Amino acid sequence: MNAMTFDVEFAPSRIRLVDIRHRQLLTAQLRMLLLAAAFALVAFISLIRIAWLGVVQPAPTEHSMAQALLPPRGEITDRNGVPLARAFPAYALWYNPQALVDGGPPLVNPPVVVAQRLKDIFPDLDLSATTRFLAAGKPGYIRRRVLPDEVNRINAIGELALETPGETDRQYPQGKLAAHVLGYVASDGHGRVGMESFLDKRLLDPSARGQAVPLSIDVRVQGALEDELASGMRAVEAVGAAGIVLDVDTGEVLALASLPSFDPNKIDAEGQRRMFNRVTNEVYELGSTFKPLTVAAAIDAGVVTDLSHRYPAAPLHIGGFTIHDDENLGSTLNVPETLIHSSNIVSAQIADQLGGDRLARALADLGMSERPYIELPARGFPIWHKPPWPRLRTMTVGFGHGVAVTPLHLAAAYAALVNGGIWRPATLLKVKPGEEARGRRVFKASTSARMNQLLRMITVYGTGRKANAPGFRVGGKTGSAEKAGAGGYQKHAVVATFASAFPMDHPRYVVVAMLDEPKAVAASSFQRTAAWNAVPIVGRLIPRIGPMLGVLPDDTRDIDLSDLKPLVGDGGGNE
Amino acid sequence: MTQQSRLRRMGWIAVLALCTMCYLGLHLKVHAVRSEVVRSERQIVALEAQKSLLETEFETRASQEQLASWNRVEFGYAAPTAAQFVSGERQLAKFGTPRAAGAPEPIRVASLATGEDAPAYPKFVSPLTGKAVDDKLLEPEVRRVNLDAHYERGALRIPLAAAIGDVRE
Repeated sequence: MNAMTFDVEFAPSRIRLVDIRHRQLLTAQLRMLLLAAAFALVAFISLIRIAWLGVVQPAPTEHSMAQALLPPRGEITDRNGVPLARAFPAYALWYNPQALVDGGPPLVNPPVVVAQRLKDIFPDLDLSATTRFLAAGKPGYIRRRVLPDEVNRINAIGELALETPGETDRQYPQGKLAAHVLGYVASDGHGRVGMESFLDKRLLDPSARGQAVPLSIDVRVQGALEDELASGMRAVEAVGAAGIVLDVDTGEVLALASLPSFDPNKIDAEGQRRMFNRVTNEVYELGSTFKPLTVAAAIDAGVVTDLSHRYPAAPLHIGGFTIHDDENLGSTLNVPETLIHSSNIVSAQIADQLGGDRLARALADLGMSERPYIELPARGFPIWHKPPWPRLRTMTVGFGHGVAVTPLHLAAAYAALVNGGIWRPATLLKVKPGEEARGRRVFKASTSARMNQLLRMITVYGTGRKANAPGFRVGGKTGSAEKAGAGGYQKHAVVATFASAFPMDHPRYVVVAMLDEPKAVAASSFQRTAAWNAVPIVGRLIPRIGPMLGVLPDDTRDIDLSDLKPLVGDGGGNE
Repeated sequence: MTQQSRLRRMGWIAVLALCTMCYLGLHLKVHAVRSEVVRSERQIVALEAQKSLLETEFETRASQEQLASWNRVEFGYAAPTAAQFVSGERQLAKFGTPRAAGAPEPIRVASLATGEDAPAYPKFVSPLTGKAVDDKLLEPEVRRVNLDAHYERGALRIPLAAAIGDVRE
């Protein structure tokens, strides 16, 4: 009952008290809620931030020493480790007008003064053009290549707008040397033309680019080849020259030159024009240099069994076409005389006896029906007619007309001719000992041995005498083919080639030198044929490269020619 | 709380403080060494860049083309002929024959023999400590390769490196 009875005066104050208490409780709860919400918000923002850092923002880049020492593009070296192409830590000169963020003029000093100071550092700078460029206030390169010493001098000018960002550059220390082998790196960072293009992926691969790629090239041999080719080319005013030195047992290319060359350090319009590779990309009818291949195929097939057999040397009339020699070589010729005097008539007869199918088979086995085997991207397709060949074609191919191949094809074929008869693909990558390509047998070893004698006889008694470097036992065959132009063959535009090998008692290297359109000048005794222009080049080259390649001159050694010597009399003769 | 337990607690706190101090010292030391290493690495990178720059300059100045042109103008060296090579042991042995009576005295070139007065070969010095490095550290590490051939299902497979045995890196 007590509970039911309450004081009327007390009740309102009591209710107010409960009300206040209730309200305060609510306020406290609200504050707690607000505080919790604030904490939740902070936590949420933190979570979002963490997610942002983890997902959207790139991870902080941490450069270890190994990464910093890794070149941006792998190095290319020659077979002995001499660098041919390397990444080069270079700088550029960049104009950044926004460098001073105060909104005022980009330079502290007037543009004329700054341009003059830059000209003091780079004397070849165009003063007025640079002044205009600096005054225009647009960002851009002032120079793409700046050396560290020059960077220090630029910084000493004290203009913040002149920035020198570090750039990776490709440097070819040997300059023009082996430019066609190496190629160059374009501004997109990828290789062009040569091995830079072939090895592009390997050179950019982070796991592999720390290791240099050794090529088969020997830089000393390459230097000697280019030097001799260039001086030979200048002497007879030829429009171009090509040369190759090939290891006959492995197919490694020790030097490959196509002149005129270009400078991969500085690619301009003229350099672009000269990138065409005469050794691997241009096909020529190589003329008489094919005759040893014809004779070898005939010996191999058993068509020529007696080298003393005499063939008639009177001009041949076949299907309204006359095959003749440059001069009258006598009424009959045997096989060694045919090669020494380079008779078209007898070569055509031997090819005819051999037959088109067997000749085509031998040439196809020597790789002449397809693009040359080499890593370079530019490889020319030969002018090759599918057999069966008509009789006239068989005969013209017998002395090197009607089939057009690259000088590289010829070098690979000569390697097979002299190394015991095994054809191997040429390569520009260094081959470890014992890992060379197996190749395929084209000629019997006995045929190859016989051909070594015959090739040596050409340089001892025949057209290759100027290449007979004392002690190096050189053997080879000349070829001077008229170039085919509009309206038939051109009398005064010839391709002079000398395909040779040394030392003939145990052939190690093939050397092919080719001159495109040599002129009849005093230096070549007013002759256009290979004996007067391409042969002396090889004669000067082999003594230079022989000792470097482990072939020492020796006057006491030579291939035995005594069984063939009686067949040629005193030798002598012309192309 | 008794006197004993209070002492014990203070002792624990002191031990904790000591350990923390030690840890802090070690931590700072580790960081100091690490930053030293980073600095040395940066120095190595900078030196390598400088080295490659100098190498490139040297290679460029001594390029084959340049050497050939110098030879043409200044030196005029020609390729050696057969007479300039020693052809066999007999010819080599000829150089070792005793001097004939009345022959001129051979020119003697000053040289340093490896006797007791010869200075020791300079040792490799660590770029960090500035002291000579232990020779054992400089030797290439020998890695033992498992020579066992494992039989797996299918063909018998022998790891390529196994054939070599010890592989020096």
